[in-house]
Amino acid sequence: MKSSTPPHKSSILPPNNENRIAKNPFEEFKTFTASGPDLPLDQIVQSTEAVMDRIRCGYEKLLEEEAKELVWMVQYNTIIKAYEVAEKYVKEISYTAEDIEDFCFALENTQRIPYLIPGPAGIYLSALCNYTNEEEIVLKLSELKTEINLVGFRLPKGKRLMIEGDTGDFTGIGLEGGELVIDGNSKNWTGAGMRGGKILIKKNIGLHTGEWMMGGEIYVGGRVRGLGNIVEGKVYEREKLLYPGKVRYPNVYY
Amino acid sequence: MGKNGYQKQAMGIYRFISEHLYFNRPDMVIKGECFNSAILLSLLTGLKKGKELIIGEPGLGKTTSAEYVCSLIYQFPLGVIWGSEVSGHPEQTEEKIIGRPDLGKLNRGEEDVVWTNFSQIPVKIVDEINRLPETKQSMILDGVDRGNWEYLNEMIINEEYCLFATANYQDGGTNTIIAPLVDRFDVMVESRHPGANLSFLVGKDKRKDHILRHPKYEKDLYHVLKSKVAYEKKTPKIEEVCNAYGEYLDEATGIKSFQKQDRDQIRTEMERLEFDLDASAFTRMLLAELSFCEWYGQKRIVENCEEGCHYTGYLCRQIKNCASNRLPSSIKQYAQGLAWLLEDAEIDIEHISAVVPYALGHRIQWKDEVLSQKERSKRDDPIPIFLAKEAVKAVSQRYREQSEHLKDALAAGSKIFLGGDLEPLEGDHPIYVEVKKDIGARRS
Repeated sequence: MKSSTPPHKSSILPPNNENRIAKNPFEEFKTFTASGPDLPLDQIVQSTEAVMDRIRCGYEKLLEEEAKELVWMVQYNTIIKAYEVAEKYVKEISYTAEDIEDFCFALENTQRIPYLIPGPAGIYLSALCNYTNEEEIVLKLSELKTEINLVGFRLPKGKRLMIEGDTGDFTGIGLEGGELVIDGNSKNWTGAGMRGGKILIKKNIGLHTGEWMMGGEIYVGGRVRGLGNIVEGKVYEREKLLYPGKVRYPNVYY
Repeated sequence: MGKNGYQKQAMGIYRFISEHLYFNRPDMVIKGECFNSAILLSLLTGLKKGKELIIGEPGLGKTTSAEYVCSLIYQFPLGVIWGSEVSGHPEQTEEKIIGRPDLGKLNRGEEDVVWTNFSQIPVKIVDEINRLPETKQSMILDGVDRGNWEYLNEMIINEEYCLFATANYQDGGTNTIIAPLVDRFDVMVESRHPGANLSFLVGKDKRKDHILRHPKYEKDLYHVLKSKVAYEKKTPKIEEVCNAYGEYLDEATGIKSFQKQDRDQIRTEMERLEFDLDASAFTRMLLAELSFCEWYGQKRIVENCEEGCHYTGYLCRQIKNCASNRLPSSIKQYAQGLAWLLEDAEIDIEHISAVVPYALGHRIQWKDEVLSQKERSKRDDPIPIFLAKEAVKAVSQRYREQSEHLKDALAAGSKIFLGGDLEPLEGDHPIYVEVKKDIGARRS
């Protein structure tokens, strides 16, 4: 019995629909993936982010070590120990004053920094300022909701740290010859234990100012709420010498 | 690549001609190597089965450079090449160029064709082609294009052939070369004056071109070419004599010429070389500028650009005619040849930039305002090649500025073409419009 299948017609064209599909004129670019233009700005952003990651990593490690104490107490030993930890991480990072400023901004404005404890944050900021190569550092703290404590801790000679905004307690304690300028208010214990240098507060200052200070000068543009037990050094209030001079007792409200 | 030593062999031929036969100065630099354009392009023409138009002042070696290259690449003694040349003059006839009736047989009432040496051998040199009247230029059009030579209803087909034509600058005895014939030439190059000092040496030393003569083999070849056997049967015999002449050349000069199978192998190797992405994108960009017209859809010699066109800064605004489809083919052929010669694995943008001015020079018709503006520019090249080089520089600059974006646009084009759901990239160059047109055609 003969098959009913029609005989196969030979053709020079492919049997399927391939011949109907136009050739892709861009075939050779099929696998091209754009590398993206290598803009200098991208490189800057990339390197800044890398530095910021390292700064943030150091801060997290500091917090990890200090979190053992459930409540961070400002005690002399605690501060020294925390500063030593901060120093250890900061020394390994290559950064600029601008990176410190970015870090300040990131302290409150990013999810990547776990939490802000004013004490350790101030210690860490101080370590960053003390170990940067730049002599003049400007930090904008005015936009932070939290006032940072311990800013300007052990600021060495030759450095000038300018703060835009208010600072918390213990500002400029243990100052070692640097110049600390606060364009705002400062709280209690400012300049405590400072050995030299200059602190300029544009507005008002709290209690215990200059407690156990061993040298240096504190200039206050507004009012001084109370002086601490000052060993040596000078405190000015609106260009008027407050100490040495008429003794104002600590914790006395004027 | 290069393991069989063919590239070294080809460079050996280049050096031999450059140092002993054709006085010249290098006039082009490719990847740090200096070359003389006339010899280099003639060498590539011979190897790639190309078609070259050599222009220049009388007596500056237009014909002789082609003869030397052909002799060494195709292993034909100089005497045979001379005897196969067609010279352009107004009285030239089809019988002298292609073939004539066999008069003996004709007397007996039979029709047969006696083919000319020109139509039979793979090396075709037309001397002073622009002295052929325009009506007679079309006689060689088909043969030049396809290698088919027809006479009295008989035809021979050259499987392997290359064409060299020389042309003098316009004088009283010259005609213009008709546009379809001009477009069939892959490249145009100038045979230039070698400079006073080298020119002074011409004729002082004993000429070495006699080395390329060999009366015995010339006689043998003439005998084969004259023999009344079928053309297909002649070719193996011709090759046999040519190979013997090649051995003689090797002994006499140390130059290894190419046998038929060598040339075939070289062409296979060349064919394998592909454009890299930059070379491809750059060539597309150039072709877009040479064919694009926003107003009329494409360039046409009968239509002039409208005022106020957005694409005023591109080549399309400066030229009259449209680039033919032979242009990309010529560019690819010669860029492949050059990449092969330089032992590169791919055709890159340098190969393209080097050959494009020579593939473009004779094909572009510049607008009068461009010519009048630039013809008095300080330059080393004849005006068509100079303007083509300037055009390549301008397109190269544009390509450098947007190479990544253009490659992105082409990649996006490919994705859209394959059905991807994205939009074609925008850009300020005719090529982006061309990409959109291709995508639009595909989508519709």
